[in-house]
Amino acid sequence: MANKKVQYSTKQRRLVIHENVTSYLFLLPFLIFFAGFVLYPMFMCVYTSFFDATMGREDIFIGFQNYKELFQDEVFWIALKNTLVIVVVSVPVTCAFSLWVASVISKMPVAATSAFRCIFYLPVVTGSVAVTMVWKWMFNNYYGIFNYLGKDVLGIMDKNVNWLGDEKYALWCIILILLTTSVGQPIVLYVSALDNVDKSLVEAAEVDGATPKQAFWKIKWPQMMPTTLYILVITTINSFQCFALIQLLTSGGPKNSTMTIMYYIYYSAFKLYRYGYGNAMGVILAIIIAILSAVQFKVGQEK
Amino acid sequence: MKNFNRLDAEQRRAKIYNIVSCIVICLIAFTFLFPLYWIITGSFKTKTEILSSTPVWIPSEWVMTNYENLMSKRSAPLFDFTINALKFNLFGYVFTLGETITITGPTVPAAIRWLVNTVFMSVTSMLLTCLTAAMAGYVLAKKRFFGKTVLFSLIVCAMALPKQVILIPLVREMSALNLYDTIWSVIIPIVGWPFGVFLLKQFAEGIPTEMVEACRIDGASEWRTFTDVMFPMIKPGVGACAIFTFINSWNDYFMQLIMLMGTKELTISVGIATMQGENSTDFGILMAGSALASVPIIIVFLVFQKYFTKGITMGAVKG
Amino acid sequence: MKKFIALLLALVMVLSLAACSVEKAPETTPTEAAPTDAATEAAPTEAPVEISLWTYPIGKWVDEATVASLIADFNAAYPNIKVNVEYLDYTNGDDKVNTAIEGGQAPDIVMEGPERLIANWGAKGLMVDLSDIVPAGTYESVIASCTSENGEIYEMPVCMIAHCMAINRDVFEAADALQYLNEETHTWNSTEDFFKAVQAVYDAGHEYVGVIYCGGQGGDQGTRALITNLGGGTYANAEHTAYTYASEENAAALSKLCAQDGIAFDTAIVASDEIQNFVNGTFQMAFCWNISQEVNNADALGFDVLPMAFPSDTTPSLQGGIWGFGVFNNGDAAKIEAAKTFIKFMTEDEAQYTKAVEATTFAPVRDVAGIYATNELFPEYSLMSPMMGDYYQITLGWTQARTEWWNMLQRVSATDGSVDAVLAEMTVAQDAANAAAAG
Repeated sequence: MANKKVQYSTKQRRLVIHENVTSYLFLLPFLIFFAGFVLYPMFMCVYTSFFDATMGREDIFIGFQNYKELFQDEVFWIALKNTLVIVVVSVPVTCAFSLWVASVISKMPVAATSAFRCIFYLPVVTGSVAVTMVWKWMFNNYYGIFNYLGKDVLGIMDKNVNWLGDEKYALWCIILILLTTSVGQPIVLYVSALDNVDKSLVEAAEVDGATPKQAFWKIKWPQMMPTTLYILVITTINSFQCFALIQLLTSGGPKNSTMTIMYYIYYSAFKLYRYGYGNAMGVILAIIIAILSAVQFKVGQEK
Repeated sequence: MKNFNRLDAEQRRAKIYNIVSCIVICLIAFTFLFPLYWIITGSFKTKTEILSSTPVWIPSEWVMTNYENLMSKRSAPLFDFTINALKFNLFGYVFTLGETITITGPTVPAAIRWLVNTVFMSVTSMLLTCLTAAMAGYVLAKKRFFGKTVLFSLIVCAMALPKQVILIPLVREMSALNLYDTIWSVIIPIVGWPFGVFLLKQFAEGIPTEMVEACRIDGASEWRTFTDVMFPMIKPGVGACAIFTFINSWNDYFMQLIMLMGTKELTISVGIATMQGENSTDFGILMAGSALASVPIIIVFLVFQKYFTKGITMGAVKG
Repeated sequence: MKKFIALLLALVMVLSLAACSVEKAPETTPTEAAPTDAATEAAPTEAPVEISLWTYPIGKWVDEATVASLIADFNAAYPNIKVNVEYLDYTNGDDKVNTAIEGGQAPDIVMEGPERLIANWGAKGLMVDLSDIVPAGTYESVIASCTSENGEIYEMPVCMIAHCMAINRDVFEAADALQYLNEETHTWNSTEDFFKAVQAVYDAGHEYVGVIYCGGQGGDQGTRALITNLGGGTYANAEHTAYTYASEENAAALSKLCAQDGIAFDTAIVASDEIQNFVNGTFQMAFCWNISQEVNNADALGFDVLPMAFPSDTTPSLQGGIWGFGVFNNGDAAKIEAAKTFIKFMTEDEAQYTKAVEATTFAPVRDVAGIYATNELFPEYSLMSPMMGDYYQITLGWTQARTEWWNMLQRVSATDGSVDAVLAEMTVAQDAANAAAAG
């Protein structure tokens, strides 16, 4: 497109047309689904965000009123803060943790590697409803396993802590569970990335007297950059969209300490029937995520 | 000699680090294993032991009551198809070709049907996603066409869009297409979700362009270039895309919850939810259902694992 | 392998093509004269109609066999009306119905209570007026709660319940706390005695006698009833136009609960967790209880349960639940008529009505002789029915008011528990709820 001004010869033009046509033919199956069932609802969502839309009556156009209200809504800011805390904490921790686990288990015998990889993937495949139910029981105030360990076994707590019911801990508990359900995929990716590192380079470095640590950071790490970038992007999106955990465990409480944007969107649209307001929030959230992903991309690709 | 000593100490330290990490990872692995262990053993416990305030690590008595409840409380046909008669309207004359056929399977416990639905949903969305995403990813990585940048930006934006927001327009659309409350209303949005395209584009970018061009110069058609050269090279990526799509659709609880209503259309996780009473959670049924649901997906994971070991390079080839 | 994948793909393609031609529901039959009341007798000759019935888990209306038997009765009389039953749960049911409404796929009949049928969907103009099929004078006690502001009746009541609380009788007996209550009438001697009983059980070594759960809206009728009965205040005004719970009396009661040994706040649990903890003996009282809970938990209860009215210095005013049928206006006269036919069939004939009510495990809303003749629990729980208080859940802005309530309790749990602090938090919540009520 940059060379639009260039005069094409007939043959070249035909080639360009051919390229365009085949490209779109290849894209067609995807585009049908994408345009019809993602882009169109997405457009509707942006459109509705300018309306006072609710159940049982015609939508009323109100311009930017929803957005204006949003920026004055205290709960929205709390939700935004909590969402950012989740992202800022869980993204680096997920990456670092999975890199560490992958580096350790990839050195193990093949069977052990594959067993551990499977174990760390289990919370992902067990399904959020079931896993959450077990965690809820573990965090239980009255006979949960954490209180049992902390009070009766280790003796580091003098009374039961209501983990999910305490503003100080609730968000961190959510982050912990989120972590266990999201490290599976990064570990799998890192293990295979470590396997695929150019072995000759590592050997050459070792011959030159590099320590394992140096070999890791100087040789392997740069080669895994694309994997890391990919993991960063998906973990960021996942953490932003953390919803099921909140819905099943805390409903945003106590005192909004676990309220996230995703949950607040759901609450506005499905509990208060404020579709326009919820959509406005969704638009803001999508913009934030898109900007962040773009930045991660730019930074990652420059490296 | 001195240098050698330093290395020796360094290596010893590395060894200790390795052993300690192994132990720590084993401990952490237990917490990852625990939920599944708890669900599986829990599904065999009596109601009293499930609700007990002191943890019952191993059921004192293994009972099948929870599975019996899960299987007996709801029923549905194993499968059902309706193929409509084709109707043509030619110059006012209506021709009917064939007749409307409804094939209904034997009545089975609804949980079985829900499992069938869940597997069908996940497998179909997996296959459709892999196919559409591989084609689109190839083009986005290797071709120049009008509107490419715009399309890719839209893909990135759409990936970030929270599903809850597009849900209501989506429900309206599905019901206009007569797809609401069918398994297709869950499958189609998953296939449209551009994540697979994003993933496979990254992969395809790692394939040297010369290979694609060489193939074209040899006179191969576009389609042949794709199937014979491109597809085999991005196969590990397609494997990754397959497993992620499978698991994502399996776990896409919220979409299933909203789109599916009829007993015979539900998926296992949503189905179990409809068996709960007011202010009382039947953990037995919940655990039995979750245990049943996790078995197929673990098998899928084990089978597809080899695609990962074969090597995901994530565009690393281009360096 | 390649061939296998190709084959699978082809299969999927074929299947998806087949699915495209799958017709969800038979096209609505063009209404050849909607059946009139007189015509219903000759129903079998009419065009077949298919209607959907979505039910929340009301007693055994979640159990397929029970519901199927009721539908079979109906189909014996009206073979041309097909009823498709689907089951909702309270956790996700609202989301499902709401999205279905938005997608134009609302059910024809829904079984629920006035707080949804009247205050929610009714207020949004989505329901059909059932005045023509509700017999005058039959449901005097509850019909007002089933009637919307504009005088239209959106719910045909079927059953009702007075939500109560329950105590672990064994523990209370051991702690010598039974003296503070009347086992015959299932009432507390006074609010003073309620606190004495809690203290006695606490002193007997039970850390958690009762827990004010406020992790969400599930079962909030229990905490509402506890506080308004203890304080003697109201929750909403008699006209059901505004919330009035932020009163001196109610704040004093809540403040006293904060200070009481053995009463704890838990911001992480909802009623279902509370009941679970009551059943396994961790809590000695449950504030969210009714006959259905005792039936559901029968095989896990290891002690004697004593259902109790909420503590009050006057007559206890219990939170009611009134369940019945509502009809969504889906713009198809034939379906509406069929839905009405179904409702009339279930409620008109006494024997059929008895069967429908017994499936709910709750009390009937009109006099029926010999109902629950073989039920052992029913007589005990039916003592609660006369204590049923104002059904204020149809006050406008109810959905938001519910959220405000449990959020208020969460905030109160973090204060020092003084009357002033409690009243301040109550006022904040009430103002927000009233703002929602005002529109």
